[in-house]
Amino acid sequence: MQKNTSTLLQTYLQYQGSPFSDPGFSAPELQLSSLPPAAVSFKIWHAMDDAERLNRVQEAFLALTQHLQLVGDDQSDLNPGSPILLTQLGAARLRAQGLMGNMAAIMTALGLPIPPEEDTLGLVPFGASTFERKCRGYIVTREYGHWTDRAVRDLALLKAKYPA
Amino acid sequence: MMDVCLWWRQPSRMVDNRRTKMSPNFRWLLSVLTLLHLIMQINSQKRGVLRDLKCTTNNLQVWDCAWKAPLGASHGTVNEVCIEDRFHSCHRLEKTNIKIPALSPGDHEVTINYLHGFESSPSKFILNEKNVSLIPDPPEILNLSADFPTSTLHLKWNDKGSAFPPHSDAVWEIKVLRKPSMELVKLMSFNTTLSGKDIVHHWNWTSDLPLECATHYVGIRRYIDCHHFSGRKEWSDWSLLKNISWTPNSETKAFPQDKVILVGSNITFCCVSQTKVLSGQIGKTFCPLIHLHGESVAIHIQNISVSENSGTNVVFTTEDNVYGTVVFAGYPPDVPQKLNCETHDLKEIICSWNPGKPTGLVGPRNTNYTLFESFSGKYVIFERFETLTNESYQLLFQMLPNQEIHNFTLTGRNPLGQAESTILVNITERVSPRTPTSLKVKDINSTVVTLSWHLPGNFAKINLLCQIEIYKDNSKQELRNVAIKGVEDSSYIVAVDKLNPYTIYTFRIRCSTETFWKWSKWSNEKQHLTVEAIPSKAPDTWREWSSDGKNLIIFWKPLPISEANGKILSYNVSCSSHEETQSLSEILDPQHKAEIQLDKNDYIISVVAKNSVGSSPPSKIASMEIPNDDLKVEQAVGTGKRILLTWHHDPNMTCDYVIKWCNSSRSEPCLMDWKKVPSNSTETVIESDQFQPGVRYNFFLYGCRNQGYQLLRSIIGYIEELAPIVAPNFTVEDTSADSILVKWEDIPVEELRGFLRGYLFYFQKGERDMPKMRSLESGHSDIKIKNITDISQKTLRIADLQGKTSYHLVLRAYTDGGLGPEKSMFVVTKENSVGLIIAILIPVAVAVMVGVVTSVLCYRKREWIKETFYPDIPNPENCKALQFQKSICEGSNALKTLEMNPCTPNNVEVLESRSIVPKIEDTEIISPVAECPEESEADPENHVVVSYCPPIIEEELANPAADEAGGTSQVVYIDIQSMYQPQAKPEEEADIEPVVVAAVAGYKPQMRLPINSAVEETAAEDDTDKTAGYRPQVNVNTWNLVSPDSPRSTDSNSEVVSFGSPCSINSRQFLIPPKDEDSPKSSGGGWSFTNFFQNKPND
Repeated sequence: MQKNTSTLLQTYLQYQGSPFSDPGFSAPELQLSSLPPAAVSFKIWHAMDDAERLNRVQEAFLALTQHLQLVGDDQSDLNPGSPILLTQLGAARLRAQGLMGNMAAIMTALGLPIPPEEDTLGLVPFGASTFERKCRGYIVTREYGHWTDRAVRDLALLKAKYPA
Repeated sequence: MMDVCLWWRQPSRMVDNRRTKMSPNFRWLLSVLTLLHLIMQINSQKRGVLRDLKCTTNNLQVWDCAWKAPLGASHGTVNEVCIEDRFHSCHRLEKTNIKIPALSPGDHEVTINYLHGFESSPSKFILNEKNVSLIPDPPEILNLSADFPTSTLHLKWNDKGSAFPPHSDAVWEIKVLRKPSMELVKLMSFNTTLSGKDIVHHWNWTSDLPLECATHYVGIRRYIDCHHFSGRKEWSDWSLLKNISWTPNSETKAFPQDKVILVGSNITFCCVSQTKVLSGQIGKTFCPLIHLHGESVAIHIQNISVSENSGTNVVFTTEDNVYGTVVFAGYPPDVPQKLNCETHDLKEIICSWNPGKPTGLVGPRNTNYTLFESFSGKYVIFERFETLTNESYQLLFQMLPNQEIHNFTLTGRNPLGQAESTILVNITERVSPRTPTSLKVKDINSTVVTLSWHLPGNFAKINLLCQIEIYKDNSKQELRNVAIKGVEDSSYIVAVDKLNPYTIYTFRIRCSTETFWKWSKWSNEKQHLTVEAIPSKAPDTWREWSSDGKNLIIFWKPLPISEANGKILSYNVSCSSHEETQSLSEILDPQHKAEIQLDKNDYIISVVAKNSVGSSPPSKIASMEIPNDDLKVEQAVGTGKRILLTWHHDPNMTCDYVIKWCNSSRSEPCLMDWKKVPSNSTETVIESDQFQPGVRYNFFLYGCRNQGYQLLRSIIGYIEELAPIVAPNFTVEDTSADSILVKWEDIPVEELRGFLRGYLFYFQKGERDMPKMRSLESGHSDIKIKNITDISQKTLRIADLQGKTSYHLVLRAYTDGGLGPEKSMFVVTKENSVGLIIAILIPVAVAVMVGVVTSVLCYRKREWIKETFYPDIPNPENCKALQFQKSICEGSNALKTLEMNPCTPNNVEVLESRSIVPKIEDTEIISPVAECPEESEADPENHVVVSYCPPIIEEELANPAADEAGGTSQVVYIDIQSMYQPQAKPEEEADIEPVVVAAVAGYKPQMRLPINSAVEETAAEDDTDKTAGYRPQVNVNTWNLVSPDSPRSTDSNSEVVSFGSPCSINSRQFLIPPKDEDSPKSSGGGWSFTNFFQNKPND
């Protein structure tokens, strides 16, 4: 899944034209208000308890699935003739949903409350300009990777805590 | 008042007068103006005189006249203005201007008189419409709005046309200014015509710079050109400026957003920013920044290139953020190409087209197409996000009932433009039916079937044209067209006739319409076997009498499938004469002959073929054969696989001709095949795959007359002649000194492989071992050739040859197919007889003479010879051998000789090997000849007893005198074979002729001398071939023929003794002792010359 996320990001950027498709493109300053950033200081992250940690991941992937759907819609307008990108976006969304399901199972197993599903996107995204959509897609695919990395780390920590 | 008026009027009269004088209008006007100016000048120079009366109007209804108050006149000074118009009105007022209704055309005197504080000095002016300026009011902008996405300004204003006479021309001038420097970015004018009513006008303008990036101001003024007004017309003032500015409502700060533009056009992007913009780029290209106001910047792109699918990105980078926008550069849609409309089923029209040049725009910007049918007013829309490549687009249009003519307009639209193409079709002429399905075949009879198939579509109003493909094995396919009345969604059925019975056909079908447009695809194939019918023809029949002449064999050929009309099950053969009809039992199919025992009466044989349906007509043939006496055998040669036979027409032959043929090497009755030819033909070509080149065939031409066949010609022929494969076998019958008679045999027909055309005979001097005659045909000078074309000739005499000379003879046969192989022979002609006789007689005579002389001499001197060569046997006491080998030789000579047992050690005992002694083997004992004399000299007496007892011969090289004392190197030969050893011939008798020797020799020692082996072989062959009995393994020639064992040789010289040396080496075979009774004489008598002489006295 981690490998797929970087592939998705590369594929996504490749279809957005220069400067997105330029080698080494990175714009960390771009953020989406509707999508919580995965970056967190180690201290804060370490100080979180399991419930909070899993809660954050669960919320983030909930937002990611919605955003990936949005990005897929955007790209079917912008790149209708690129089934590779559209397929990868669809697959990423399904993986995110799968991960959410797994997280929910873990949280249930640990006796933690599962955050309710809510519409994180709201009315905001419609009417965005093409450039905004491209940036949004970039942020979503980038954060999708970051959150996946973070989820892996969270689960590894959890696994260390609860062996077998 | 009157005075003033009159006074003011005078000049005008004067002007009138002058006008009458100066008729040109222009001059008149100029004079008036000049005069008016002069008056005003004069007045102004006077203190208290009015100056500069100026009248304007903004609506042609009211004139507004203003003048400058005289010097010293204070505000509030009352003055009186009197206008000489219809009413001659005067107005008292305190202002320096007055609004008066528009005056009628012509001069009007205006008197302005200041009343208080001034001495009354009325100023008079002549006022005319021509002096009045028309200055309209500035237009009022009703609304200025902006469409930011398109950077378009919309200006709306009222022309207030009701204030002016209709049909007045209005010119409008609009200016657009841009902050911050208020530079004029657009000044534009356009004309309208006033209608007498207030009209709101619109003006749109698209800015090159996005409107968001700078505040734009718009002002407008006008110029009214009223045709009825003769005064001056001037531009109005500019209206109040209205501005458009953008109020940020989102984060977006780069403009324009998501614009679609034509490839190659120019565009400006701008970025509204509060912080410093560091760079601006389009795609990968960085562009120079154009500073607007504040930190806002713009970049200008010229000749933009086509975008990729997701558009071209334009990005501005500030110190803390990135702003961007996307532009889509593409093309307007190309004219739809190859627009074509057709229908498969007359229910739905399919229009297809090629989009032409790609637009470079996808998604929502992609071209969408509308197919509009003008008669029905219906349309369908084609919308698709992705661009199809190399694929034609299609739209389905539901047909209306009863509408045949359709006028389609296909319009392609995208944000950059639109294009269309049209097509007018009568849809009944554009029917391309679907593939027929459910093809079925049904039998009607053996030659007719029905085909049925299903074809979907509403064809009730048209006729269909269908094509049936009929394919028969091994023949070309046949196409048949059938026209059918169309029906709606139904099956169709047609009959297909003229088929062959019992034949496998493959059918398939395709359809079109009568007004042909396109064929449908072929339906699936359907295979069908037609039913059987009775055989249509009688089998081809021939008959042959068996070799004994008792039976008639009837042959017939199987019917070809086209005539059999089914599977032939059996044949019925019957023969009938005048009296009776005899029928044979049914003959089942694979057999195609029958044998009937018949007498020589006249019979008619008939053969009938039967299949499951019925019988063929009978084929009849007469058994009788009409004899033909004058029959010659002719020859014919064919070409390739065929042979042409011709004959003369014979009117007697009424039925037909039959040619039968067979391989001539086959036994009778021979029949390979036959062929029937109509009676009126005189030639035929016989062709068969069985024909082989180089094989002789017999062809027989029969003529049919009165139901009987007569052999007309007998022909032997070849399809192709080949060269003979063997040479004629020839022998030399007779040879003389100067001629040779050669005789040869015929070549068998099978090996001749063609008609024999002659022989070629070559002869040449030559020995057997000489190189063979090469290239016989090359005409070598030595080779003589005789061409024998008379093939009946079997002998040839070659004359004029040289005697006793070897000749090389070669004989070859040839046919038209080429020369056969050669057979050669070497013959030596006989010698000249006289020379031969001389050559024979002289040696014979000499030999006889020598023989006679020798015989006489021997007879005369026989006593001497006996004493010399054959003395009496000496006393055995003298045998020295017995002295030193008493153990062996003790006792009487005769007994000892017989007792061989003590002497058995027949072996070689090597006491000490010496290097010079050759390898000594058990079976092969070699004694160097060179040592023999030494030994014999040392002990000549030893050899006397050798005949009776195997001697042990000591060979002493170092000390010949030593006896038993073992020398340092000794070879001891124990030779038991001494008595069989060749009798050495005395040296003086060695001259005796070898011929005689050969005749006498019955035995030869088995000595082998390797050195002479080569010589031995040849010599042995030559000289001892005739030697009967045992063959010695020795070359006798190498020996000194002496008889050492002869007792009478004791007194011979040393050479005689030398023979008794160990040179006589024997194989084991000699271990078997000879018979006891054999005397030394008889033992040697088999081969020795000595015996010859010894026995002679006995004779």
